Amino acid sequence: MTNNKSFIQVRNLVKEYKTAYALRGVSMTVEKGQWINIMGPSGSGKSTLLNIIGGLDNSTSGDVIIDSTDVEALDEDHLAIFRREQIGFIFQQSHLIPYLTAVENVMLAQYFHSMADEEEAGEALKRVGLGQRLHHRPSQLSGGEQQRICIARALINSPGILLADEPTGNLDRDNTEIILELLDSIHREDHFTIVLVTHDPFVSKWGDRVLQMEDGHIVGDEFIKERVKGA
Amino acid sequence: MKQSWFFYFFSKSVSQRKGRVVIASLSIMLAVAVVTGLLGITSGIKEKLGSELKAYGANLIVSSGSGGFLDYDALQAISKLDGVENVSGHVFGMAFINNESIEIIGLDIGSLKETGWRLHGKWPLNEREILAGINLKDALQLETGKAVALSGENGIMEFIISGFLERGGAEDNALIVSLPHAWELLSIDKKLSVVLVRGRAGELAGISGNIEKTVAGTGVKTLRQVAVAEESLLKKIQLLLVLVTVVVLFAAMVSIMSTMGANVLERREEIGLMKAIGATRNNIRLFYFSEAVLTGAAGGAAGFIMGYLFTQAVSWGAFGSFIDIPLYLPALSVAAGLVISLVASHFPVVDALKYNPAVILREE
Repeated sequence: MTNNKSFIQVRNLVKEYKTAYALRGVSMTVEKGQWINIMGPSGSGKSTLLNIIGGLDNSTSGDVIIDSTDVEALDEDHLAIFRREQIGFIFQQSHLIPYLTAVENVMLAQYFHSMADEEEAGEALKRVGLGQRLHHRPSQLSGGEQQRICIARALINSPGILLADEPTGNLDRDNTEIILELLDSIHREDHFTIVLVTHDPFVSKWGDRVLQMEDGHIVGDEFIKERVKGA
Repeated sequence: MKQSWFFYFFSKSVSQRKGRVVIASLSIMLAVAVVTGLLGITSGIKEKLGSELKAYGANLIVSSGSGGFLDYDALQAISKLDGVENVSGHVFGMAFINNESIEIIGLDIGSLKETGWRLHGKWPLNEREILAGINLKDALQLETGKAVALSGENGIMEFIISGFLERGGAEDNALIVSLPHAWELLSIDKKLSVVLVRGRAGELAGISGNIEKTVAGTGVKTLRQVAVAEESLLKKIQLLLVLVTVVVLFAAMVSIMSTMGANVLERREEIGLMKAIGATRNNIRLFYFSEAVLTGAAGGAAGFIMGYLFTQAVSWGAFGSFIDIPLYLPALSVAAGLVISLVASHFPVVDALKYNPAVILREE
């Protein structure tokens, strides 16, 4: 059952590669509906942490509990089902299917979740300001517009958590602000949980909380008193 | 809706990579064409080679078990047995030309045209024309168009020599006459000394048994030299065809595996994304194996058409006639295309399932 407290629990998470540690015993909790930004330099382990929370990667040891589900205990197919039910992803690269239109890219996520619905996918794109671009292919859209398709695709199945890995890493400042304002607006309406990884201090001002990571450890945990935007 | 969206997405995906799909289908088409062609030829080769090997002559000889004559009806009975391609009744005896004893062979002279006997002169055009063994030409000073008088049990009969036969055996010293004339000369009523049988190569033991069951009191001997040569030839040809088929299938699989491997590699990002947004392993298998089914079915069907044409071209070139292909061959060709495609796709798809989306989606 969903509990407002500790929607995401990470306990003593270790990720060891052949020659190095990416995570050295990370523990954290995230409340339901919270927007948390994970900051840190390259190689600090922030993306690894995000991928393990999202079930895209396995840890060496430790636990990840999301809404009472032990993510680390799930096999590959149950992880896939868990991802489509609970998680929406946004990556630094848009990773859109180049031969599908904007609306079809969103419908692909619906297809794996349950059933493709063009009308609903179109509504999701209108919500991110792409109502006039439904039938454009990714190559016909700007980087900012492509990331907006990714937001629509990530949220089309109403996931409990949005995991964003450097979502504005390839965008200029104007587009970064547009994307963050859009995320902020949707987050305030839908109250899903956001875990966003960034190395950009400008981005980290959006949200409720900032975790600082260095060399596989959490070295800082700060609540933002006042979000940049919103009511 | 779920299925229709799958087909829509699938068709868009395939249409984006028409080149690769066409190359994979062409590889399968060529492999299936060769396999279909070889199977078609293999299935028709017994019959076709059988007719070609008629030139070798009979491979079974049927005679009376008691050493006497066979009834002429035995010829009809044997000719109707399964695996019997040709029969020829012979009667042997002695007649005289100018008081010189000569062996005569009574048979259906028309049947000799299908054998490898060499003719010097012309085939008999009427009942009065006969053939002589080549050795008699000099021995008896015979000439084509010249009359000879043969005396037998029932008096003297006159014939015209229309040509000389050469086979390299005892027949080269005999006169070849029609069965009715032989019966008349030898004074025997519709009897045969032996029935020479041309049985289908590879089935001689069964045919011999059937003859002995059908015509009581007969003894059947295999003309081993002919039979062994034929069976050996047939086996070697079939072995060669099997080897070529195996090599072609293997080459095709390697080619498809390579094409599918490149295809999967090219679509790493797409696979990683599909996994990230919730595709299970079965979703991904369905996607790639559907492409393999499409490629295999298209290649198999096109391969059948090409293989059929190839078979008929080879048959026409080698035997001067077309081959009847087995009815199961079209279905078998499509099935072969599917098997080649699915087996060749298996390993690339297994690789695709192992991709770690976290790694792929971090790549620039």
